[in-house]
Amino acid sequence: MRATTTTVLESSPLTVRELARAVGAEDQWVLRLVEVEILHVDTPSEPPERWHFRSADLQRALAARRLERDFGANLDTAALILDLQSELRRLRALMGAHGLA
Amino acid sequence: MDFKDYYSALGVARDASDDDIRKAYRKLARKYHPDVSKEADADAKMRDINEARDVLQDKEKRAAYDQLADHVARGGSPDGGFRQPPPGWDEGFEFHRGPGQGPADHADFSEFFSSIFGSRGGMGGGGQRGPYRERGEDHHAAIEISLEDALHGAERQLSLRAQEIDANGRPHLVNRTLDVRIPAGVRPGQYIRLAGQGLPGHGGEPAGDLYLEVRIAPHKLYRIEGHDLYMTLPVTPTEAALGAQVTVPTPAGGHVDVTIPKGARNGMKLRIKERGLPGKTPGHLYLLLEIALPPADSDAARAAYEQLAKAAPFNPRQHLGA
Repeated sequence: MRATTTTVLESSPLTVRELARAVGAEDQWVLRLVEVEILHVDTPSEPPERWHFRSADLQRALAARRLERDFGANLDTAALILDLQSELRRLRALMGAHGLA
Repeated sequence: MDFKDYYSALGVARDASDDDIRKAYRKLARKYHPDVSKEADADAKMRDINEARDVLQDKEKRAAYDQLADHVARGGSPDGGFRQPPPGWDEGFEFHRGPGQGPADHADFSEFFSSIFGSRGGMGGGGQRGPYRERGEDHHAAIEISLEDALHGAERQLSLRAQEIDANGRPHLVNRTLDVRIPAGVRPGQYIRLAGQGLPGHGGEPAGDLYLEVRIAPHKLYRIEGHDLYMTLPVTPTEAALGAQVTVPTPAGGHVDVTIPKGARNGMKLRIKERGLPGKTPGHLYLLLEIALPPADSDAARAAYEQLAKAAPFNPRQHLGA
């Protein structure tokens, strides 16, 4: 079977609707992620129909969905956890870069 | 295929309340979360408890699972192993994913779970709810590729167990193989989207999409950090002390000449611009210097070390007051 592929990042970003479908949520939920700054859009003044999301956004949206589902976290709490998680990974990468991992 | 005891996986009794199950799950999910767990098999444990929670927190699935467990306990399985659920075991149950149940993950559920509930518990009612139209769900899986495949692009075959709808409208599992084209320059954490390769749609609606998260296998020379690549570059004490030109391989193939500066130290980082992962903003290749001592395994080498000690007296422990 031959499959068509596209890379999400850069070449073919997702719309609000596509991102919502990819994480099993409603469009409104994606808008809430932008509101609590779990997701950042390049053009926040544009209407949501023109927003675009890339791989890192999909990864954060999936993580937020799981925190909500697995721990009953509200989205503000999920935003804080995701920020701390990013910081932890950044520091671990820094340690790795200095041969300390 | 082994019969999975979901109650044991969560450490709860058969009559545990929803609240007991939720508490047990959260405790274990914290313990085995991949960002904090030190356990070697944390990923596998996390999959097990996710699967157990998915079944036991859903009234329909839990009741069906209990019925199946009773059947197995009564000797329904000839050799203690578990092959397939018996015919008719699910009569009276209807499984469906409600809204807000989160992403559907291909890889997160065992063969045992899939044999009972489909790839993500999506056993529909066989038309009992009347005709409806719905686009298929999107699915998620991961694909691990080599660094070379990521740099140059490749075609890979991916085997998945996936759900299909039969002529009676009931889902069943099939093994299918997809040819996946890996675009050159793909990075870890990026998603490849395969249009129409998710769950089938209902009522003539299109299938969902399949999202593959790209993971890159550990490489013998290079370590990936974001867009950048790191490589340990051994140099001799002479090269480090006096400076040198050395030739190093580059990830994309070929070689490049690098200047080791005079007085280079162990752990010093040299940057080769834009030789990391390709892309709109290419990453860099970093070389971490590691000073390698020539072995003192001949009279000439030993004499040379002694000569060096005399010519350049040096106490590396001075800062220790020794």
